[in-house]
Amino acid sequence: MSQSTSEALFKDKRLGFFLYLGVEATMFATLFATYIIYTPAPEGPAPESVYEARTVILASIFLLSSSGTLLVAESGLKDWTLWKIWTGIGITFLFGAIFMGLEVHEFYKYAHEGYTIGANNFLGSFYVLVGLHASHVLFGLCWMSLLMVQLKKNAIPRALFIEKHKIFNYYWHFVDVIWVLIIIIVYTPFLI
Amino acid sequence: MKRLFIMLGLVLLSGCSLRVLDPKTSTGQDQANLIYLSFGIMMVVLVVVFVLFALFVTKYRETESNQNVIPEDSAGDRRLEITWTVIPVILLTILAIPTVQITYDLASTDAESEETVHIDVVAEQFNWNFNYENGKATENEVIIPKGQEVVFHLESADVVHSFWIPQLSGKTDVIPGEELVQSFTPQETGTYQGKCAEFCGSLHAVMRFETKVVEQDEFEDWLDNE
Amino acid sequence: MQLPLVGDIPSDVIAAWVLSAVMGVVLFIFVMKKRKWPLIWEYMTTTHHRKIGTMYILVSIIFFFRAGMDALFIRMQLAVPNNDFWVFQGDKYNEVFTTHGTMMIFFVAMPFLIGLMNVAVPLQIGANDLAFPYLNAVSFWLFLAGGLIFNMSFFMNAAPNAGWTAYTPLSTDGFTSGPNNNYYIFGLQVSGLGTIMTAINMIVTIMRLRAPGLKMTRMPLFSWSTLITSLLILVAFPVLTTALFLLTFDRYYGTSFFVDDPVYYQHLFWIFGHPEVYILILPAFGIFSDVISNFAKKRVFGYTSMVIAIAIIGLLGFMVWAHHMFTVGLGAMANTFFAITTMMIAVPTGIKVFNWLFTIRRGVMRVTTPMLFSLGFIPTFVMGGVTGVMLAVAAADYQYHDSYFVVAHFHYTMVGGTILGVFAGIYYWYPKMTGKLLDEKLGKWHFWLFVIGFHLTFLPQHFAGLNGMPRRVFTYTTEDNVFGFNVISTAGAFLMGISMLFVIWNIYKTHKKTDNVGPDPWKGRTLEWTVASPAPEHPFEPMPKVTSIDPYWYGKKDNRELEVAESPRPSPIAVKTAQPILLAGTLMVLSIGFVYHWIWMQVMAGAGALLFLIWRFFTDERIEAYRKEEER
Repeated sequence: MSQSTSEALFKDKRLGFFLYLGVEATMFATLFATYIIYTPAPEGPAPESVYEARTVILASIFLLSSSGTLLVAESGLKDWTLWKIWTGIGITFLFGAIFMGLEVHEFYKYAHEGYTIGANNFLGSFYVLVGLHASHVLFGLCWMSLLMVQLKKNAIPRALFIEKHKIFNYYWHFVDVIWVLIIIIVYTPFLI
Repeated sequence: MKRLFIMLGLVLLSGCSLRVLDPKTSTGQDQANLIYLSFGIMMVVLVVVFVLFALFVTKYRETESNQNVIPEDSAGDRRLEITWTVIPVILLTILAIPTVQITYDLASTDAESEETVHIDVVAEQFNWNFNYENGKATENEVIIPKGQEVVFHLESADVVHSFWIPQLSGKTDVIPGEELVQSFTPQETGTYQGKCAEFCGSLHAVMRFETKVVEQDEFEDWLDNE
Repeated sequence: MQLPLVGDIPSDVIAAWVLSAVMGVVLFIFVMKKRKWPLIWEYMTTTHHRKIGTMYILVSIIFFFRAGMDALFIRMQLAVPNNDFWVFQGDKYNEVFTTHGTMMIFFVAMPFLIGLMNVAVPLQIGANDLAFPYLNAVSFWLFLAGGLIFNMSFFMNAAPNAGWTAYTPLSTDGFTSGPNNNYYIFGLQVSGLGTIMTAINMIVTIMRLRAPGLKMTRMPLFSWSTLITSLLILVAFPVLTTALFLLTFDRYYGTSFFVDDPVYYQHLFWIFGHPEVYILILPAFGIFSDVISNFAKKRVFGYTSMVIAIAIIGLLGFMVWAHHMFTVGLGAMANTFFAITTMMIAVPTGIKVFNWLFTIRRGVMRVTTPMLFSLGFIPTFVMGGVTGVMLAVAAADYQYHDSYFVVAHFHYTMVGGTILGVFAGIYYWYPKMTGKLLDEKLGKWHFWLFVIGFHLTFLPQHFAGLNGMPRRVFTYTTEDNVFGFNVISTAGAFLMGISMLFVIWNIYKTHKKTDNVGPDPWKGRTLEWTVASPAPEHPFEPMPKVTSIDPYWYGKKDNRELEVAESPRPSPIAVKTAQPILLAGTLMVLSIGFVYHWIWMQVMAGAGALLFLIWRFFTDERIEAYRKEEER
């Protein structure tokens, strides 16, 4: 029994994308290790005095629930319920954007208080790690807007849209998992 | 061809007194012994492979008579494969034991005696500065007494260097922000080359120093005077 | 040399400008005369694995000559004591050996192997192309862009000068502040991205596109080694990427990760760097296994243990990195741990060597050029292997470390292993790339000169190291007593250089004089020899069904054709597109923006790269394929 083209190629792509996420995971793992090695630093600002719980908690609420809202879109894909897909992506995009705003606010605030990237290695590794994560969220937002354009224009075959959407879902959930690790490893030890 | 032989002769001549294999401390001797031991064991391996190789390559050639023959396949041979798994393991174990032993030995400096000479070494691009306990300082030249333990405290003023006196002992890196230690007891007087062995910039090649091992009283005279 | 407008430029750089200009003009005239533009355009827009593989190999050969010239400069400068050859002293010499090392590892050995994988792996496993043809083109152009960025540095008189390892703090802006080492970082980042993409591509191809019946346990060993190598790349390269990323922050944005902790950089570098040498050697092992079995007319001895050995080597490869750092003071416990894990690698490697020997035993061996390279490899590589075990002896390594002994050792493994493997592979699969068979006689000349030159070059270096010659030095004195070793080394290097001229002659002669050969010039065993030479696009239509190891051989032996598989899976989609090359060009511009701190260029090229992703998003070749399916 021959597979359909879309089915076979989707499975190829999924495997390839999972491998790519493995690459990303290795990079983040290295950055986590860097953070752990350099934090707290022997001199300069200490994490306890830098971090601000309110922004972190707010940002987490939005980003983590955006993984949930994306599930709505995923369930819409199964039987092609357009309103579900639209609501799912729409809210996820909104939450992601709010998260980005909070991140920018957080970085801006820290830097304003004199906690800049060069202050010591703790802050250096913090900015590189959390900044790389934030840029992943930003990339995801761009990706989502492209998906929405394609959905709106209805210009590509349905099977392809579903494929692209699913790949994006994996990406977004992955970025969320990284955020959970950031909460556990980067913030929590110094906020409680 | 003749010239080649002369050159090979040259190699052998200078090979007799390779610095690393002609050490003047017990540390260096330990290291040289390990080199000899590992070389010996590895020669056994090398000879076995070379002999089998020569044998098979000469014996199983295609010739006029057998060129249409299709040799019988063999998927493998459990016994043979176990043999060449187990024997290397044994050889490596023989090598691993003294390796562990000597590596641990060299890591622990001897019990400090009053007599031990301590020298602070500061490496900078591209000089070696030696500071003795009594404040005496030298540059690119270090003088140490025969028969007494010398401890070098290695510090870097800039990048990573590596402290190496081939005839006395192996290398110890000199890392900024960290003090590593090298110690040995020289057993013969003489002048030995010291080198920077970790690439450190433009003039890495000429970042050298001279090590003079002198008799104890001579050393003390020198340290107190001048 | 003082030049108007550009200022003081060393004469070697000017020589390179002139030489490149002349060669460029000659090439241009040649292409014009022969009307080769359509062919060039064809290759620039292709996504076909065979063509991309050929380009990889072609570029690698060019880079091989370029980095080989560096080697000759090094050997000239070191030929006699207190030498002053041309400009190669001090920083200039440091630039030369940095370039030599980096080029040979990242832009010669790796792309050679990746090129051979591209050509051979899909054909060996009965795939009509790699799983992601478009991505494959992107990988190639990224590799080339990285190579060009790295090479540009020399033409801008700013070649990297901190060694191929770029140890900190020497490589941070406090000590090497010019653009030099920026080139290193961005050249490696861009090409590294391409390598990671290739690894993903290879794994998916091997896992999902094998012909029906070609189980993993029937897969040729080159494909096996490609699979494991790709897995190593996936774990090792991201660590390098991250290390260089952090180094970028140190150099550009005022952090001081590696200034404060140089040893951490060394850890990260070698966590990548040691697996990297297995990434370079395992595919060569695969090539030798296939070639030896082919020309001994026997199936490979101990197939299962061969596969297990590759896997164990790959796994152990991640547990040995600190044997590059025995002298940084990690303590006796760490040193002995890494000494023992390193020694353990000798066991699976030994198993492989004996299996090769016993594949030859009781065979009927035809000594063709690829076979000759494989035979030359066995003793040579074993010599490199035993010095590897000697180096693993931690306490003794305090003496070997960073001396010419190490230089000799890694050239024995990298040249004696990887490069001989690459040559074997090129001679072996040349018909699949171009349709022609390289001249056997010239091939043998190449082999003998190369191997003799090789041993002359590197055998004496063991002794130079034991006599106290550190690596990366541009001069030595008469009292150092290493003149004899060095002068022989220099002579040997030139012999290797001459042998490479035979390659050019061979290629020229072959293409001028001979016709295409049939599908199976070597009486092969595996699927690649069932398809035409050169390999056409979508060669496996109809798709063969595989029922054993070495299916083609046993089919021939029993006088039967391979069965045809019913309803095979759909093939990957080929496209003709200039997007990959444009994307790589944009990233190159982006890198140059970073190298020279031109923020406007960074912003523009960065935005350009993102636009490419959008463009790609809307021009996906799957749109059409899926639509056809929908309409059906």
